[in-house]
Order: sequence, then structure tokens, then C-alpha cells
Amino acid sequence: MLYSSQAVAKPYFIAAIALFVGQILFGLIIGLQYVVGDFLFPILPFNVARMVHTHLLIVWLLLGFMGAAYFIVPEEADKELHSPKLAILLFWVFLIMVVLTLLGYLLVSYATLANLTGNRFWPTMGREYLEQPTISKLVLLIVAIGFVYNIGMTIFQGRKTVINLVLLTGLIGLAVLFLFAFYNPDNVVLGKYYRWWTIHLWFECVWLLIMAALLAFVLMKITGVARELIDKWLYVITAAVLMTGILGTGHHYYWIGTPEYWQWWGSIFSAIEPIPFFVLTVFAFTMVNIRCCEHPNKAATLWALGTAVVAFLGAGVLGFLQALAPINYYTHGTQITSAHAHLAFFGAYAMVVLTMISYAMPMLRGRAAANSHRSQVLEKWSFWLMTVSMTFIALLITTAGTLQVYWQRFVAEPLPFMAVQEKLVVFYWMREVAGLIFLIGLVVYVISFFVGGEDKGETSAGVN
Amino acid sequence: MDQVVQKPAEIPGYTLAITAESLYLLNLLAIPGLAFLILLWLFFKYENSSPLLGACHLRQTFSASIWAGVLLLLVNGVIFAVGGYQTPYTWVIAVLYFTICHTTLVLLGLLGLAKAIAGQSFHYPLIGPTC
Ligand code: HEM
Ligand code: HEM
Ligand SMILES: [Fe+2]
Repeated sequence: MLYSSQAVAKPYFIAAIALFVGQILFGLIIGLQYVVGDFLFPILPFNVARMVHTHLLIVWLLLGFMGAAYFIVPEEADKELHSPKLAILLFWVFLIMVVLTLLGYLLVSYATLANLTGNRFWPTMGREYLEQPTISKLVLLIVAIGFVYNIGMTIFQGRKTVINLVLLTGLIGLAVLFLFAFYNPDNVVLGKYYRWWTIHLWFECVWLLIMAALLAFVLMKITGVARELIDKWLYVITAAVLMTGILGTGHHYYWIGTPEYWQWWGSIFSAIEPIPFFVLTVFAFTMVNIRCCEHPNKAATLWALGTAVVAFLGAGVLGFLQALAPINYYTHGTQITSAHAHLAFFGAYAMVVLTMISYAMPMLRGRAAANSHRSQVLEKWSFWLMTVSMTFIALLITTAGTLQVYWQRFVAEPLPFMAVQEKLVVFYWMREVAGLIFLIGLVVYVISFFVGGEDKGETSAGVN
Repeated sequence: MDQVVQKPAEIPGYTLAITAESLYLLNLLAIPGLAFLILLWLFFKYENSSPLLGACHLRQTFSASIWAGVLLLLVNGVIFAVGGYQTPYTWVIAVLYFTICHTTLVLLGLLGLAKAIAGQSFHYPLIGPTC
């Protein structure tokens, strides 16, 4: 760690991991409710627990991104963070917002929550991923603006590296695109149309820039490959993201009442949307091939390579699988969508945050460069447990989805939704088992932080 | 530091190696058949007359491409021939088989390409010859 202000990243990372654990617990609850319908009924209905699952997902990833930026930006800008105090203040504001929102979800009914928070004055609630009360959204927006200001000022006054600029572009995009979450017109088609400007353009455009910048930073640090080379790849990836991801939004406009030409544009741009993931994978492996493994943090190397591969599988493969209009006609909103959502989110964003934590946390905790060998062995175990079980979840749900499409939408006399779901119970049970293994992996991950031993020192790798 | 590794582009056969891996991937992803024909042509033209790195990637991708064709087309053909189009399980097996198999082949190609760009040789497990 070069600058003391990088330390503000630590609470962000710790909170991120804690909320990640919560997300998985709620994932297991809804997974069980899929097969044991009245599990926890009426205390915790499925729709509420599902909302908590995705809410926790989004907020722990945002915490992870913010922590990562606070760690990277000072080091890249070659100066202390503009205002560490603001960073800590915003951390608490964000966390309190998250917890209050959660309590609102869990303690009162959603309608009551909407009433209590004055949704009628400015209705923004009730849309997937954007369920938060309007006040929570406003707090999130304020935190995002304060955060971007802090990061932006640091970069503005310091060294402007490509990594920093791509990261900043992504973060500004994140804040700006969130504005569309506040626009919720009465016209349902328009409402759905603009919802994707937040959701799709986050996941498949600006978050990808953030992810690419984080990966580039970690790869540069652990391999010691020259910055110029890293920068060239980052340019290519940025261009590929922008050229494919923006118009790729069209793949959500096939059947929601938008003009038919979107079936063409959505399909064409989705067909090239895997390109950035493709380049990311080649990038990560090329860097490690060119110069490898002098850095003692082997676990971070594994996470970095894993991120590229699993993001490619989840987004590039499973996303593309259902992205062409004639196929999406059958698969829209089925378990196939869910399989893609899980593997893409885990592979791209959960894993990149874990990569960053793996790289930065040892230093934030006062180690020279990396955790002890024993701790890293555990961390690698957790990597494999989580990655393999999540891949299985995706495969099981893809299987369930294929059958669902067949019985519910493909055959001459389709079966009703619930009749089909009953036939798929066995896959949902297996998903729950895989989910438990995922939880074990996560527990091993948390334990790895508490395993001592002699730390690994710095090496000559850090030339940048 | 190993000097050779620092400047991969100067290794003889570098361009050929990258071309071969790219054609392998193009054959799987964008222009099936056509990319293979170009690879075929390169293989017969350069296999014995090019530097080690290029020849290695050429042999690997050529063999792997043939295997890819067999694994994807033939096996899927057999799945549908045996199962027919009307049972859901044929679709499940075909979708899963095709996705997993195709993805694995593409991933191997990505690793091969990353090796080629770094100026190193790559061996496709099971479906590539030794070189
Ligand atoms: C890291 C990147 C990605 C993430 C995190 C992600 C996440 C998601 C999520 C959560 C959904 C479900 C949204 C909802 O129904 O409310 C979704 C849907 C979809 N995604 Fe992605 N995605 C990613 C990349 C991609 C890529 C690269 C493609 C195309 C090549 C793609 C194609 C689609 C399509 C077509 C749908 C709509 C499915 C339907 O009709 O139900 N995604 N994605
Ligand atoms: C490990 C155990 C997990 C289980 C058992 C689980 C289970 C579930 C279930 C049952 C749903 C609801 C699907 C529906 O509405 O029909 C869901 C939704 C979702 N989960 Fe998970 N989940 C787990 C982990 C994760 C992880 C690690 C991530 C991401 C990093 C994630 C991301 C999501 C997303 C994005 C959705 C919304 C999907 C959509 O809109 O289609 N889950 N999960
Ligand atoms: Fe999308």
C-alpha cells in the first residue's frame, strides 16, 4: 500500500463480504421455497426474500466497486485520496440506507413501505432491481455523486492513467445511468423501456468498464507486465464494450411493446456482445503467460483468471444463448434467463470484487504483499467450491429452463406454468444442494481471513 | 527476466501462430467451414516449412478443428437421429452437450490464442497432437 488514504477501502470490503453472506442465505431460502412452498410462510414470503436476495447483491457489489476504487485511484493517481473523511462518511450513509431498506422489506409489507416512504409523491418502486423506496434511491444517488466527486478530484489533481480514466468513466456512467431509475412514467412500455437504461447499461456497459479497469489493475500488479501493454488491451476492451453493449440494450426490447425493428438491432448487437468477454479472457491469460507468478499472492492470480473465464461463460455464452430474437421468443423470462443472470453476475461482478479484495485486503491488514501460504490454500479452496457449485447451479437451471420452454411454450398443447414447475422439482432440489456447497465455499472464504501464518513479502514484480 | 519472453513478436513463426489460433476460433464462432478451409490451406503450405512456434500452433489447431467438427456435428447429429425432435430430453441433452462442448472448445482456443500472443506453444489436451 503506497498511500495511507487507501485504507478507507477496508470497511467497504468488510461490509461487502458481510452482505454477500446475507445474499447467499436469502438465495438458499428462496431456493428452498421453490420446492417447499410454504417454508417460512407467512413470515417471509418468496417475493420479499427474492427482493432481499437481489437487493443485497446489488449493494454489496456497489460497496465492492467503491472500495476497489478507493484502493486503486490514489495508487494510480500517485497522490492521497482527495477526502478520506468524505469516503468514510459516505460509507456509513450507504450502509445505514442499506440496512434501513432491508428492515423495511422484512418488517412491513411492500405496500406499507411504499406508503411510509411517500412513494405516491414520486413513484419509483415496484420494478425488479429498482424496488428500493424513492428515499433510498436518493441516498444512493447522493452517495454515488459524493463518491464520484471524491475519486474524480483525486484523479483530476493527480496522475491520469488509462486505468484510472476507464474506471472513472465507468463510475460516472454508473451514477448518471442511475438517474433513469427515478423516471417511472405511467405508460408501462415507456417505463420498461427506460428501466433497461439503468439495468442493462449498468450490467453490460458501464459496470463492464469498471470490471475491466479493476482486472487490468490487479493483472498489472501481480504479473508486473509493462503498463503500456496493459493500456493497449484496456483500450481495445473499452472500445468493444461501448460498440456492443449500448445497442445491445435492444435484446430487452423484443416483446415489450417497442417497435419491431429492435428484433433486428437487438439480435445483431447481441451477437457481437460476447466480444469484450472474449478479449478479456485472452487479455488475462496473455498477461499471465508473458510474465507470471513472481508476486506471492497466488490466490489473487487465480481469482483474476477465474473472473475472466466465468464471466465469459455466464455472460458471453449463456447470455448469447438466449439473445437472438427467434430464440428469445421461447426463452424470455424462463429459468434459462435465471441461469444466465446467476453465472454472469457471479463470474463478472462478484468474482472481480473478490479478486480485488484478494489482492488488496492483505495489504490493508498490514501485510507486506500477500497472506500466508495456509490462508491462500483455503482461499483457493473457496474459489473452487464457489465457482464449481455456481457453474452447476447454472447448468441445472439451464436444464430446467430447456424443459420449461419445451412443455410451456414449444409443444402443440402447452402445459400451464405450475404444472411445468412441478415436473422440474428434482432440478430445484439439486440447485439447493449446489447452493449449500456454494455456502460452504463462502464460509471457507471468510475463514481464510482468520488463518494466520507467516506472510509472503513483496517481490520485484511491482515495477509500475 | 527471460529475454525471449519479453519480446514475443520477434520469435520466428509468431504471426503464423496467431493466425492459426484465430482461424480455429473463427471456425467455431463466426465463419464455420470457411475458416477451416483457410486453415487447411495454411496447414499444407506451411506445416513442414515454418519455424517451430508457427508449425506447432498450426498442427494443434488443425487437429483440434477436425475434432471439433466431429464432436459438434457428428455427435449432435447422432443425438437427434437417436432421440428425434419430439422428445424434450433430446433437446435437453443436445442443448447441454452442444453448449458445454462448444464452450470448452472455444475456451481452449482462447488459451491457445493467449499462448500464441505470448510467443509460447500450446498443446490442446486430448484433441491436439504432441509438438
Ligand atoms: C456481466 C454481464 C451480464 C450480466 C450481469 C447480465 C445479467 C442479466 C440479468 C440479471 C438478466 C435478467 C434481467 C431481468 O429479466 O430482469 C439478464 C437478461 C438478459 N441478458 Fe444478460 N447479463 C450480462 C451480459 C449479457 C450478454 C453479454 C448478453 C448477450 C450476448 C446478455 C443477454 C441477455 C438477454 C437476451 C437477456 C434477456 C433474457 C430474457 O428475455 O428473459 N447478457 N442479464
Ligand atoms: C448459492 C445459492 C443461490 C441460490 C440457491 C439462489 C437462488 C435464487 C433464486 C431461487 C432466485 C429466484 C429466481 C426466480 O425468481 O425464479 C434467484 C434470483 C437471482 N439470483 Fe440467486 N441464488 C444463489 C446465489 C446467487 C449468486 C451468487 C448471485 C450473483 C452473484 C445470484 C444472483 C441472482 C440474480 C441476479 C437473480 C435474479 C434473476 C433474474 O432476474 O432472472 N444468486 N436466486
Ligand atoms: Fe442485457
